[in-house]
Amino acid sequence: MSAPTIARATTAAGVRRARGLRRGDRNRFLKWLGVVLISLSVLFPLAWMAIAGFKGKTEVLRSPFQFFPDMWDPKNYIEIAQDPQFARAMIVTFIGAIIFTALSLAINSMAAYALARLDFAFKRFWWVFCIMPMFIPSMAILLTSFVVVAQLGMLDTMAVLIIPGVASSVQMFFLRQFYLNMPIAVEEAALIDGCSRWQIFLKIFLPQSAAVFVVVGIGSYMAFWNAYVWPILTITNPDLTQIMQFLGNFRSDRGPQWGLLMAGSTLAALPTIVLVLFFQRYIVNGVRISGIK
Amino acid sequence: MTAVLPSDSLAGQAGELAHVASRRDGRRSGTPRVAKHLRDNRTAYLMIAPMVILLSIFVIWPLIYSLYLSGFKISFYKDPEFVGFQFYQYVLESPKFWQSLGVGLAFAAMVVPAGMLIALLIASFIKTLSKRLASFMKTTVYVPAVVSTVVASVLFVFMYQDQGVVNWFLSLINAGPVAWLNNPGTALPAIAVPAIWLGLGITTLIMLAGLLDIPDSYYESAELDGAGFVKRTWYITIPLLKNILLYLFVTGFTAALQMLDLPLVMTNGGPVNATTTPNLFIFNSFRDGTPYSTSFSLTAALLLFVVLGAISVLVFRLINSDKAVDG
Repeated sequence: MSAPTIARATTAAGVRRARGLRRGDRNRFLKWLGVVLISLSVLFPLAWMAIAGFKGKTEVLRSPFQFFPDMWDPKNYIEIAQDPQFARAMIVTFIGAIIFTALSLAINSMAAYALARLDFAFKRFWWVFCIMPMFIPSMAILLTSFVVVAQLGMLDTMAVLIIPGVASSVQMFFLRQFYLNMPIAVEEAALIDGCSRWQIFLKIFLPQSAAVFVVVGIGSYMAFWNAYVWPILTITNPDLTQIMQFLGNFRSDRGPQWGLLMAGSTLAALPTIVLVLFFQRYIVNGVRISGIK
Repeated sequence: MTAVLPSDSLAGQAGELAHVASRRDGRRSGTPRVAKHLRDNRTAYLMIAPMVILLSIFVIWPLIYSLYLSGFKISFYKDPEFVGFQFYQYVLESPKFWQSLGVGLAFAAMVVPAGMLIALLIASFIKTLSKRLASFMKTTVYVPAVVSTVVASVLFVFMYQDQGVVNWFLSLINAGPVAWLNNPGTALPAIAVPAIWLGLGITTLIMLAGLLDIPDSYYESAELDGAGFVKRTWYITIPLLKNILLYLFVTGFTAALQMLDLPLVMTNGGPVNATTTPNLFIFNSFRDGTPYSTSFSLTAALLLFVVLGAISVLVFRLINSDKAVDG
């Protein structure tokens, strides 16, 4: 190879590298721009809700339009947090959600374990029985569920909020999917060591279920916390008012106090958002567990 | 699945993930790996008993009860009177029922394609990001999915006010103000926006999972051949994501058709029934307490169930059959 060829080759490569760099920079800039734009537009409504909570009565809706409050005054947040009805609704719903989550994890994981790892008579029938509700639209049973709980004398109790939704085909399905993928060797070893099925479930399967329980448990928690239609049908006692019921009825109960309502909505949305941010890693893992990555 | 009984919502979303997963695992785990000698009836029945009993009382029995009641005239003053399929005829002849079905279909037509398109674009974008940025974006996009429909409803009602932020954006381009929720023409699209916003996270994550399964080499060779983003999406992504797209389309469609909370809180069906979705129609006729409203609304719910059930069964068969192309 003669000297000129080498020279030309190096400069060509150099030019290509330089151009590549410039293109890489532009790409990186575009990616950052995309990230910022998408995040801003997806999160904007939530940010707007939180901002409105800081606005005074005259600022919150007025023309000419005002984006940020003149003064970042947490008055609305303090007022709504001290509102006895709001505070009570938050606490009652929170307690209900915790009990609901614990019960549904217990019931659904037991059934999931049996349907995944045990062999028993009419298993196929019970499997279809437990999974079928997934395909029944909620409206088809909502109204008669109401009639049924009314006949059982459950209206206006905590039980009516908790019990009817505890057994969940969807959750059971999800947990069973997880248990199906556990290696059988451990189980067999435990059986040889004389463990009972209950011991295997409690001592081997449950401790390994932490990650999947977080995912499924957050699902239960949110379902309860965010429930609206079932509470407005079954709860009339103001002492048991659920938080979404309180917010949904706020405008008709108290008129258009938007600053207060937005502050209350922000506070009510926070627990679930914080949960998800806190367990974000688990949720991603949970999705991977289910075989999706 | 709309979150009516407190068991759906995110659990439903987790389940949706699981569905997709099971489709994949199905071939492997069709026969559970359980040795025959481990048969254990007593323990198994004890373990499934709570679930079976609760489902019987709160799902199966209400369903049977619905079927039974739809055949009777019920009133407080007289004994139930058997009327056969009369209520089915009433519902099918009720113009309001058909109108609500039309509203539901229009609503689904606004929510599902738009939502899927946005999700596909965001998922394709996330795929090109570095690991850290991608996980940041996944969390960001997912956050609205955990916001309750009631909070989303009051929030969007607030944003749609005459002096609200949406009209302010419009005023920046010298348009509006629009009375979004008071105008029969704009009310339904105005409700579709929060529905898309709430559903975006889970749709994006499922699509992203599907996208990550497509080998990079396909895209690389397409790129060498000079195919741009649109061509790569049309000829590689969409055919290979066919199953997932079909699945998302159907679950999204049935969920949108069953939408209840958003119109209930935002407009309660108004103006002039422009946002009365089928479930809201059923729910309101159940609550309005006119004679025989119970039987009427139950029957309407069952008819809707038949339609939705048929769609679901059909599609799950499609998905479970291995006819569709697999990458």
